[in-house]
Amino acid sequence: MLATIRQFLDSLLHPSAQRDALTRARHQAFMAPRLLGGLAALAMGPLYLAWRGAPSALEVMVFGWLIVPILLTFFLSRTGRYEIAHVLSSLALTSLVTVVALETGGIESFAAIWLVMVPLEAALSASRRVVAVATVLALGSAMLLLVLSANNLVPVAMASETRQGPFMALGIISATLYGAGLAFGAESLARTSFWLLCAEEDRYRLLARNMSDVISRHDRNGTVLFISPAAEALFGAPAASLLGHGLFERVHVADRPAFLTALADAAQVVPDRGESGVEFRVRRDPPGCGEPARRRMPPAYIWIEMRCRPLVGVDGEAVDGADVVAVMRDVTARKVQEQALCDAQAEAERANAAKGRFLATMSHELRTPLNAIIGFSDMLRREDEIKFDAARRNEYAALIHDSGQHLLSVVNDILDMSKIESGAFEISSEPFSPREAIFTCCDLMALKARENGIDLNVRVPEDMPRMRGDKRAFRQVLLNLLSNAVKFTERGGTVTVAATIEGARIVLRVEDTGVGIGAEDMARLGDPFFQAGTTYQRRHEGTGLGLSIVRGLVALHEGELNFYSKIGEGTRVTVTLPLEFEPQAPVELARISRLASAPAAGAELQVRKRA
Amino acid sequence: MTKTVMIVEDNELNMKLFHDLLEAHGYQTIGTRSGMDALGLARQHRPDLILMDIQLPEVSGLDVTRWIKEDPELTTIPVIAVTAFAMKGDEERIRQGGCEAYLSKPISVGKFIETVRRFIG
Repeated sequence: MLATIRQFLDSLLHPSAQRDALTRARHQAFMAPRLLGGLAALAMGPLYLAWRGAPSALEVMVFGWLIVPILLTFFLSRTGRYEIAHVLSSLALTSLVTVVALETGGIESFAAIWLVMVPLEAALSASRRVVAVATVLALGSAMLLLVLSANNLVPVAMASETRQGPFMALGIISATLYGAGLAFGAESLARTSFWLLCAEEDRYRLLARNMSDVISRHDRNGTVLFISPAAEALFGAPAASLLGHGLFERVHVADRPAFLTALADAAQVVPDRGESGVEFRVRRDPPGCGEPARRRMPPAYIWIEMRCRPLVGVDGEAVDGADVVAVMRDVTARKVQEQALCDAQAEAERANAAKGRFLATMSHELRTPLNAIIGFSDMLRREDEIKFDAARRNEYAALIHDSGQHLLSVVNDILDMSKIESGAFEISSEPFSPREAIFTCCDLMALKARENGIDLNVRVPEDMPRMRGDKRAFRQVLLNLLSNAVKFTERGGTVTVAATIEGARIVLRVEDTGVGIGAEDMARLGDPFFQAGTTYQRRHEGTGLGLSIVRGLVALHEGELNFYSKIGEGTRVTVTLPLEFEPQAPVELARISRLASAPAAGAELQVRKRA
Repeated sequence: MTKTVMIVEDNELNMKLFHDLLEAHGYQTIGTRSGMDALGLARQHRPDLILMDIQLPEVSGLDVTRWIKEDPELTTIPVIAVTAFAMKGDEERIRQGGCEAYLSKPISVGKFIETVRRFIG
């Protein structure tokens, strides 16, 4: 039965009311009581006639008026003009009450109290204008009744007291029905509003809970006035703790100026400028650990991208200096990728530059002796063209031989280096006297030192014990270091070789009073082909492979290599080697290849690992 | 009249090679191992041709060439660059540096003499 009525009411709704749930509810609340009340009045008409007999003119008028709500229902159904329908309804009710009251004793009539119903009925419209009009109508009617009553202009009251009874009954029944209708309408409207509110809130919760982006509202100084619940998942802290300056205190100190600038910029309205965006780091608390544990751990930062714009006012226009709405999201993964890409690119560029340098140096080192070899042999071939004697011919042959030997040593160095780097260098272990080895090396270098006017000193204790290790590698290390020391020391300088025993290790020191090494070049010492200074300004000959080989051999020998140097004051190199060495090739090789590439582990790398 | 060639070269063997070659072909030579001395020597001796090694101690042969070309009295002296760096783009860079010709090590005796003759006969 109710469903049928509801269906019928729904079918009466004007199309304009169908769109929105609240409007539909209002239209229904207007129609339902009027339709029911009107129909009830119609139904009671015959009963009333049967009881009363021929009705009076007033009774016919009242009866007619009771049908007006049905007409109003159809008016609303046809036009959809809700406020007009309400005003018409108020007007109809007021006129009915006024006429009835005039006929039944003016302001003192039982009907006059009905004027109260007029603004109450209008209250359902939720329109101030309608309520105002209804109030004016009701008050106007009351004034009219009052004035007419006071001046005794009211028609003579009903002749018989007994006739008041039916009117009273009719009045009470219709008023009760009408009141009930209004009450149902109001209740239905309230319920609809409540459900609509709930639905709205559900939608908001759905958004807030399932959106990983955080929405926040800031004043122009960056103070957080509101932050959405998603912040808890993002920052690992309760949303309440982020309010005020809570968020700001979590922003990485270095990024705080950018964070504040972005908010201040967003607060200023600039036409044709979209959102302002900023990226900054925010401290994130790791989930599931208490305050003490949190304090012990180093802070973890995540990268946040924040886009902000000024808060739009009620009129849809942004106000200068207004609050700022910001949307934040975690872009750590993207940042890590960017950084990795950047690192990879820098590494590739470094490798490429190193390769270029390698090739250029290699080319130079091979071409210089080759130039002498090819040049002098070419001259020997052209003996007819260029006349020279037997002595010169011999001299040229010797020069070609020496250049060939030099070329061979370069090629050997390259081969050794390549073997050490690829792990193919075979290291053996045999007993030998380090003292003898040191003296042999010094003898080999003595001639060169004398030529360069350098004093070569050796300080090795006579009771130096024998050691076990690779004799060839030992000599190669010492020769390379000595050759460097002699090469980089000016005439009149001193090169000193010393050896001591410290525990189970032998410590070799090669000290010179030469040019020294700059701090910026220190880190690259031992890189293949590296020689301090630029490529075009080669002060000293040599492949730049000597120290690389020394570093590789010392590492293979489980030793340590250290440099102490100052520009212009000289260099001290110390090599520490075990007295008893047994080769363990495969393990050591891995270590050397790491030594050779020497990755630079920065703070950024650590941040990335944690993030 | 005997023409004079100035050789700026830090490698002893190569210096000897150029010296002997030029001498055998009837040229007089002045040699220096230092790029820093080259400008002074050129002013003093006014050579007819300069052989310039690019990889020199202390200063690049390209810089020395620029100093020579900036000197109005020396700018007409042709400079032949000799270099063991034979990388892509090197020749271009050396020519841009003001050198009239470019020879890469190892040299060919025939080409060397031919190049020298092209400038000073």
